[in-house]
Amino acid sequence: METFSFILIQTLNALSQASLLFFLGSGLALIFGIMRVVNFSHGALYMLGAYVGYTTAKLSGSVWLAMFIAPLAVCVLGLFFEIGFLRRLYKRDESAFLLVTFGLTLVVAEVTRLTWGAPPLQVPLPSGLSGVLFILDEPMPTYRLFLIAAGALASVIIWGFLERTRLGLLIRATSQNSQMVHALGTDINIVRSGVFALGCGLAALGGVLAAPSITASPGMSSAVIDAFVIVIIGGMGSFLGAILGSLIVAAVQTFGNYFFPDFAMAILYLLMLGVLIIRPGGLLGKEA
Amino acid sequence: MMKNKILGILAILCLLVAPQVLPNYAMTLLTELVILALFAMSLDLMVGYTKLVSFGHAGAYGLGAYACALLSLNTTLPLPIVILLSALIVGFIAIGIAWSCTMATGVSFAMLTLAFGQLAYAIAFKWVSVTGGSDGLSGIPKRPGPFGWTLLTTKPGFYLLTVACLLGAYFFCRALIKSPFGQVLRGIRENEMKVLALGYSTRRYKIAIVSIAYMFAGMAGALYAAFAGFAIPELLFWTVSGQVLIMVIVGGQGTLIGPMLGAVFFIMVEHKLSEITETWGLFMGLIFIAFVMFAPNGILGMLKKNTSAGKPSQGHAS
Repeated sequence: METFSFILIQTLNALSQASLLFFLGSGLALIFGIMRVVNFSHGALYMLGAYVGYTTAKLSGSVWLAMFIAPLAVCVLGLFFEIGFLRRLYKRDESAFLLVTFGLTLVVAEVTRLTWGAPPLQVPLPSGLSGVLFILDEPMPTYRLFLIAAGALASVIIWGFLERTRLGLLIRATSQNSQMVHALGTDINIVRSGVFALGCGLAALGGVLAAPSITASPGMSSAVIDAFVIVIIGGMGSFLGAILGSLIVAAVQTFGNYFFPDFAMAILYLLMLGVLIIRPGGLLGKEA
Repeated sequence: MMKNKILGILAILCLLVAPQVLPNYAMTLLTELVILALFAMSLDLMVGYTKLVSFGHAGAYGLGAYACALLSLNTTLPLPIVILLSALIVGFIAIGIAWSCTMATGVSFAMLTLAFGQLAYAIAFKWVSVTGGSDGLSGIPKRPGPFGWTLLTTKPGFYLLTVACLLGAYFFCRALIKSPFGQVLRGIRENEMKVLALGYSTRRYKIAIVSIAYMFAGMAGALYAAFAGFAIPELLFWTVSGQVLIMVIVGGQGTLIGPMLGAVFFIMVEHKLSEITETWGLFMGLIFIAFVMFAPNGILGMLKKNTSAGKPSQGHAS
């Protein structure tokens, strides 16, 4: 394989991986930005998204519908969890939040295992995207190109929403100074619930998008670690940081797996440590 | 309090008499319990006394197990020496891990411990020539000695060794947290900025306590490897870290005794519930959420509240 086409193909692979990671990481970053707390159940919800997508696709025969239903279902679950549990914990310290979302992880993982069983489940590719395109004579699955487009589109939409709409302004204001926003007459509980639900939905969307290429399996809940690496590198609570973080992590994973398959994971952790030493708040985050 | 002392002595006596009274299968369970109690207590040093939440404690446990396996298989050192050496090795490795993790605070610290735990898991999985890969290392012998002593390699003898480790660790930790060093740790828990402003290098204290906690977790892991006869990558997986964290929170953080009760509770629930229903993990999750929400001081906190109803609550009992 020529060097140029090799780099191109691997870059496209990395970009499609970055898209999936972006859905995972941006949800976590949004939730952290607004609540100053980490949602440990993010990986479990990512997994749940894939499973709900599997069932929707199986019942309706349409993966496209699954990509709509799964995030919506997980959104609703996140909303109930925020209102029922998390809302009572804001006065406690951040570790209570971490622990209770860890409890949610256990419950979701167990319910998933009981409902769908432990063996991985194959989710079909969406209709119209099952083919292969040839780029410089190298095969490239159409679905990966679709993932790149979906990730790019979603990041532009969310960025626009945060920066250009009134609601986005409210969210950014709450993340900077929630007391002040509250004093100005906005019910910040609604903002928090909404953002938490949105973050959960993004994770589920990532899960259902990932499912056709990696199958739905219980191991997906470990993705929470990838999500943390992304937000630590990019900067806790920074949306643009989440985009940057997912690009970096995807690049390290793709090229690392190609050149040093045994050390790719170690390289990632070393990178994360390096970022923490040089910029403790993450590349685009505020100084911690 | 006098009453607590009597209860403590009674508990120790029960542990020591157990091999004479209990049937064989119950001894197996009890040995495992003592090991898990040690594991949970070690995490309490971080979570309960210094508010350093760790999601990677299984890393220390698994490292201890592998250290014990490698030492037992490749040397002829007697078992007690192997256990001690394994604990020291893990404590030594932990200095580096702690140095890196304490670079961050709060939630990021927890995430870094998780990352290191998973890194250890990946290494155990990939470094096949040393760790045996996914099969792990099996056939770990319990070598007799020192001085040709064979008692500790028998089943009741090994049990007494685990009890000795637990009691030794407990009294060490209790002395540690009552010392000026422990005062600083509690200061870090309540308000790290204040302690820093008083001129203490809080990071050094944190590195020290993480290393000590990892050392005892490593000891528990080494005991487990000798007990089970194998060391497998699953011991390092983050779900194990989660389980031990449940024991600490449910039992009562910041009390040393509480996490041990938590370990007992966890094993009891696991055994009782798995007899009736396959969904015991689900109930465990719900119980855990209920404790975090409504009883943050755990089982021990509830017991204390009932015995001293009139006194003002002290938040973190110690």
